[in-house]
Amino acid sequence: MTYTDIDPGALANVQFRQVGKPLTRTDAPGKVTGRTPYAGDYVMPNMLHMRVARADVASARLVRLDVSRARALKGVACVLTAADMPDRTSATDIPGQTGQKRLDTDQPVLVKDRVRYFGEPLALIAAETRDIADHAAALVEFELEPIPGVYDPLEALKPGAPQVYGEDNIVATRRIRKGDVEAGFARADLIVENTYKTPFQEHAFLEPEVGLAWVDENDVVNIRVSTQVIEHFRPIADAIGVPHNKVRVRGALVGGGFGGKEDMTVEVYLALLAKHTGRPVRLEYSREDSFVGHGKRHPFILTYRTGVTKEGKITALDVTMIADAGAYVFLSPYVILYALVAAPGPYRVDNINVFAQAVATNNMYTSAFRGFGALQACAAYEQQMDEIADALGIDRLELRRRNFLKTGEPMSTGFVPPSAIWTEQCAEKAWAGLGEPTPAQGPIRTGRGLACYQQSYGRLTFLHDTSEAWVGVEMDGTVVVRSGVTDIGAGQISAIGQIAVEVLGVTLDNVVIYNSDSAVTPLAGTTTATRALYMTGNAAKQAAEGLRARLVERAAQEFGVAPDEIDMGFNEVFVIDRPEKTMPLVDLVRICAAEGIHRSELAIFRAPFGDFLDPETGQGQAHPDYAYGAHAVEVSVDVETGEVEVLKSVAAHDVGQCINPAAVEGQIQGGAQNGQGYALSEEMLYEEGRLVTPSFSEYLMPTAMDMPKVECIILESRSGVGPFGAKGIGEPAMTAVAPAIANAVADAIGVRVFEMPITPERVVRALHGKGAAEQGRDPA
Amino acid sequence: MYAPFELDIPNDLAGALAALANGDGEAVLPLAGGTNLIVDIRAGRERPDRMVGLDGVDELKGMEFGPERIAIGGRTTVSDLLRSPEIAREAPSLVEAARLFGGLMVRNTGTVAGNIASGSPAADLVPPLLTLDAELTLQSAASTRTLALDDYYLGYKQDARRPDELITRISWPRLPRDSVNTFYKLARRKGDAITVTGVAVTLAAAGGTCTTARIALASVAPVVRRVKEAEALLEGRALTPALIDEAAEAAAEACTPIDDIRASADYRRHTVRALTRRLVAGAWDRLA
Repeated sequence: MTYTDIDPGALANVQFRQVGKPLTRTDAPGKVTGRTPYAGDYVMPNMLHMRVARADVASARLVRLDVSRARALKGVACVLTAADMPDRTSATDIPGQTGQKRLDTDQPVLVKDRVRYFGEPLALIAAETRDIADHAAALVEFELEPIPGVYDPLEALKPGAPQVYGEDNIVATRRIRKGDVEAGFARADLIVENTYKTPFQEHAFLEPEVGLAWVDENDVVNIRVSTQVIEHFRPIADAIGVPHNKVRVRGALVGGGFGGKEDMTVEVYLALLAKHTGRPVRLEYSREDSFVGHGKRHPFILTYRTGVTKEGKITALDVTMIADAGAYVFLSPYVILYALVAAPGPYRVDNINVFAQAVATNNMYTSAFRGFGALQACAAYEQQMDEIADALGIDRLELRRRNFLKTGEPMSTGFVPPSAIWTEQCAEKAWAGLGEPTPAQGPIRTGRGLACYQQSYGRLTFLHDTSEAWVGVEMDGTVVVRSGVTDIGAGQISAIGQIAVEVLGVTLDNVVIYNSDSAVTPLAGTTTATRALYMTGNAAKQAAEGLRARLVERAAQEFGVAPDEIDMGFNEVFVIDRPEKTMPLVDLVRICAAEGIHRSELAIFRAPFGDFLDPETGQGQAHPDYAYGAHAVEVSVDVETGEVEVLKSVAAHDVGQCINPAAVEGQIQGGAQNGQGYALSEEMLYEEGRLVTPSFSEYLMPTAMDMPKVECIILESRSGVGPFGAKGIGEPAMTAVAPAIANAVADAIGVRVFEMPITPERVVRALHGKGAAEQGRDPA
Repeated sequence: MYAPFELDIPNDLAGALAALANGDGEAVLPLAGGTNLIVDIRAGRERPDRMVGLDGVDELKGMEFGPERIAIGGRTTVSDLLRSPEIAREAPSLVEAARLFGGLMVRNTGTVAGNIASGSPAADLVPPLLTLDAELTLQSAASTRTLALDDYYLGYKQDARRPDELITRISWPRLPRDSVNTFYKLARRKGDAITVTGVAVTLAAAGGTCTTARIALASVAPVVRRVKEAEALLEGRALTPALIDEAAEAAAEACTPIDDIRASADYRRHTVRALTRRLVAGAWDRLA
């Protein structure tokens, strides 16, 4: 169930007719009836089918690569290796749609001489059928001479460790130095120190990577692809050596992204083979390809040392975070920056040192994943809060209450978030939402856990993020929105449509949205970083308001009143409180058309532009703003087998202003599932860099049988920097789920499992470590 | 990528057995639900020259509820088990295993004989059937024989079925009046997961004494197996907590688990002990 809680002191300054209502999303009918084409549904005559041949060890020298047998196979059109394009490299670190301030992190498109991770691509094959392409891939002969690799970030930091990246394997280091930490610890009555470990995670979107590329009559390489980021047309053009205006990325509705389609996946391969063969080429990853075809969530090792007074006030915090970056850079420098900023959580800590480092290994590279480092920090700081509360004997919610960052207070970077901070309200509602406790029964114990979070929405301010949208009104009063924004399944375009029609006083069934085309729709930036609603929503609102101003001005003239006396709603234009003075929008639009009044508007929204945080102190503005909320769970734990069941799951988030409550609830439900899998069952096991859980029979996301009903409590402070005071919910929905579960398990069994996922076996080991004598059994 | 294979689709049992009999040196495999086999073929672990599809063989379907024995056809699907009220009464452990078996699509397609014949140490239907003293009918074009399920497995992925035989029927005696038959599947999640430790138990009692004890374990040995060492401790005795502990310990000692991606051998042995104790004690409580 869902209910919405609006602060009476934060009433909207406009009367909403569309926004805030659980309208049927514009993308829903096509999806429900199966008419919506996804990227994989597109085919072209004379199309070739691609396959990527990959290395089967994680660290090796490529001694020999022979594709002559593959090339000779009947039906094979093209096989490319690094030898065919010795200078071709592809960007890995692509933080901004504007492309500025990129690090120098290119990797060869295909392995030239050194393999750094299991599955690194060796050759690209295009053939007349998929079977022939598969067969050709099996005919690619290669000899890999193993080189000692390193598979643990702490090992990789040791002197003499195998070199994966640079001299020392350090991909990036970030620091916060604020206040006087030594003095803070000296003032503390108690110091609590713990180390928490978080695991790899696979995005596991329903739709694996897929695309179709062709070269058109203007020599433009067109790529229809499942992506979160159409602005990759620039690095794709750089990688294949053509001008930027010769690559056009056309998205499609996306079957899930979660950050896994934030980096380029199949784009460069498609572009290369379309260019080399002159024919359309299609590449679709199998699930097994997908497991090795995109970066994973960074595993973190997080050590928290917290000083507190007897009363539970935090006096000092020292945090060290080490993230496994895998074999290539990708977004690691930015992921640890998010973790750095998020380190203290939604708490006021004036004396704080944070050290965050991303370290290269020969594991699968890691990159963007919902929560983007801030989630890993939350996994640690919220477990640490329970550890502190228990050590002091203070109620766990009360300890948090005594430390919550409050509206108008500075966070870890010294920045004061501009919006309301409603962590406390969210925490109390989530906790209360658990209702009556479920009693224990024999070996089945029960426990409860809470976790609160701070998660940014909008991108890093030094990226100078912008987003564009075009809004126009047709001669019959219907509305068209054009914006490059990609919709990755969360209802991004529908929400943007809802905003535009709210401003223009028409209903949602009167709008059509064209999106996700890098050449034709105004560039809107990435659908990442919980920014689509914030950035493109603001751009659409601005565009619609610009258009509305012109329409209202002309209507005011028609009615002989001032523009501020005019309102638009229900597809009508009218004078406020004078029902006789009204006309259909279509009549006003015709007048405007006849007089040459511009019936459309292109707007650009600019997020706050900032500089990089101070490299020594980490002070400055990292993000435009932050979202706050809480998640509470009740679990049962079988103390004999270690099995954990989540019995209740309650989320309370301040979303600022809900645009579509049904879509918000969808995000919260998905976040609860995603976080539960991360906490309990999803496990990517690597043996010397080789994934040994490479399918959904080994990689276990929660099923419908594993999920409890998720209760969604939506709070609206109407204080965010998004449209109408909206914040964001995409990433926040997941952030606090896993630590809430970890805390509930610890509450149930009286001992903490410090490493996720909290598998039955880890629970049993923790219990035996605690009281082998008391249990009278051999440790498992 | 599928390696090419021939597919026979006979429309009766005689045709199926004839198709299996004409091996002539080829690798011929019967194809029932295919929920393991197709995955194995796609991964290149199985490379049959020819398969004999059993979809059209109606003789392999159906259930019989006689006065003494229950019998089901080999091509009974897992979902069929869940739809039968008689099976729910006569084989509660089998129904519990069926309920937790794979996902819905796999349950609708996967068959009982297929689950037995694929020989997985984690086969969920086998521990319940072992504790029900199930018997298999193995039929070829030339002969028909019956074999106790307990004698069916010879080693890891090795069984007593000849390549020209089909498991046509699975039967078991009705449970005695005072008996409890249960199954516990321990896995890394509740839905659609491979078993980490499976334990099935049948206890029957008369006059305060345990008359029959059956304990079978999955995923903790190269094959699904009974632990007769533990059963022997219980039969003919009035069960006490100490005796149940002893049987649980015997089960833990008898199993030979390995470390794999799902769990360690130590954890599996620990859970065999805990679950055997829990299931036997729970059953005995219900009989008292």
